[in-house]
Amino acid sequence: MAALKLLLAVAVAVLVHLAGQQTISGFSLAVDVFLIVVVLHALGGNSLSAMLVGFLIGLLHDTLTNGPFGLFGFADTIVGYGTARLAQRLVIQRPSGVLGVVSFAAVVQQSILVVLAFLLLPNPALPDLVWVVVKAATCGVLGMAAYVLSRRWRSGAEARRRSRMSRLRLD
Amino acid sequence: MDERRTGWLLVLLLVGQLVFLVIQGGQDRTSDTVLERWGLRVLGPAARTVASVPEGFSGAREGLRLRGSLLEENRRLRREVEDLKLRLLRLSDIEQEMRRLGSAVRYAAPPAGRIRAVDIIYADHSSWLRTLLLYTGGQPSRVNQPVLSPSGLVGRVVSSSGPYAKVQLITDRAASVGAMLLRTRRQGVVRGSGRGSGLVLDYVPLQTEVRPGDMVVTAGIDGVYPRGIPVGTVIRVEQGGQLFHHIELAAAVDFGALDQVYLLENAPAPRRLLETQPGGRP
Repeated sequence: MAALKLLLAVAVAVLVHLAGQQTISGFSLAVDVFLIVVVLHALGGNSLSAMLVGFLIGLLHDTLTNGPFGLFGFADTIVGYGTARLAQRLVIQRPSGVLGVVSFAAVVQQSILVVLAFLLLPNPALPDLVWVVVKAATCGVLGMAAYVLSRRWRSGAEARRRSRMSRLRLD
Repeated sequence: MDERRTGWLLVLLLVGQLVFLVIQGGQDRTSDTVLERWGLRVLGPAARTVASVPEGFSGAREGLRLRGSLLEENRRLRREVEDLKLRLLRLSDIEQEMRRLGSAVRYAAPPAGRIRAVDIIYADHSSWLRTLLLYTGGQPSRVNQPVLSPSGLVGRVVSSSGPYAKVQLITDRAASVGAMLLRTRRQGVVRGSGRGSGLVLDYVPLQTEVRPGDMVVTAGIDGVYPRGIPVGTVIRVEQGGQLFHHIELAAAVDFGALDQVYLLENAPAPRRLLETQPGGRP
């Protein structure tokens, strides 16, 4: 069930990314929906799963970019593992905490990408700092929104299950 | 699995990826990887579906809006086709004459390539890793195949998987094109400047006279792009160093307005030539 949810999340991320890129110019500069999925999954605290999911989703993102294949795979592996380790030590349940973690993860990911670009690309340049901040903020807000929605959906489903159980008991 | 083992696995995974990246970095993006081809196979259909949705909507809306004027447009297009047919006849006359003159002086003209229209299914021209994904239909593309638009050069195919292809734009910082100034025939290398759709022309000596407005076309010296395709126009010339100008170009193509491009079906560079080129792959 968890794997199915993850697959669904990845499919939604792919569709949102493709549709966003189709309709909004500069969408990929402002948002990284793949990163949001990696971080939200890693908040579960399973570092092995977070690392592998980060790796695979990063490679998927690499398919849609034109750098050396594996740049995002490398960055998202580190981000996934780091976030999972953080989630093991801290209890991150408040939406503002999620916002902070996703925004921080976005900054870390972009820093890793810049370092890799300077090591590997022939003609590298620093990204525009404004876009780095915009991406961190947008990812944070979207990550928080996705977290709140999933929590509401989960608590709603739990409430429905409980009421069904109590009705069964009454019968 | 305990955290220690996971840590070791992380180190292994990162080292493996780093080695993979370094190996790719050493090559001049003349080949694609199996993983990249799988990724294209997975994401290509999704990108094509998403790209076709707004097209369908706008097509239907346009059809309704233009229902009345379609007849008139049809008549106008027919007249235009007739005019173009006549022009084509004249041009083929000129081509024949050029061939006759060429054979008289024993000049071996380069083979003219055919062009094939293909659809863009995903475009990212704003981020620092600029990408274009194409749907090439039944006939697959090949790596290094030039991609054009009616205004000029767009880039080249860097990865191909079935009917999907990934294109490296000429505005990419890692891209380079052998080019020349049309007025002076002086050759240089065009690279992406990394700012918008800006380009820079390197290795043009200070002795060469360069003016804003000069047109830059492909030189046909890199084994990828044939000669004579418009690349851009000079917009600024500065003294770069002791030897070369620093020349900024505006790309001939408006990358933000691309919706269809053309693959140039020219013959690949001869195997022997690629073997002599550093980093070249047959």
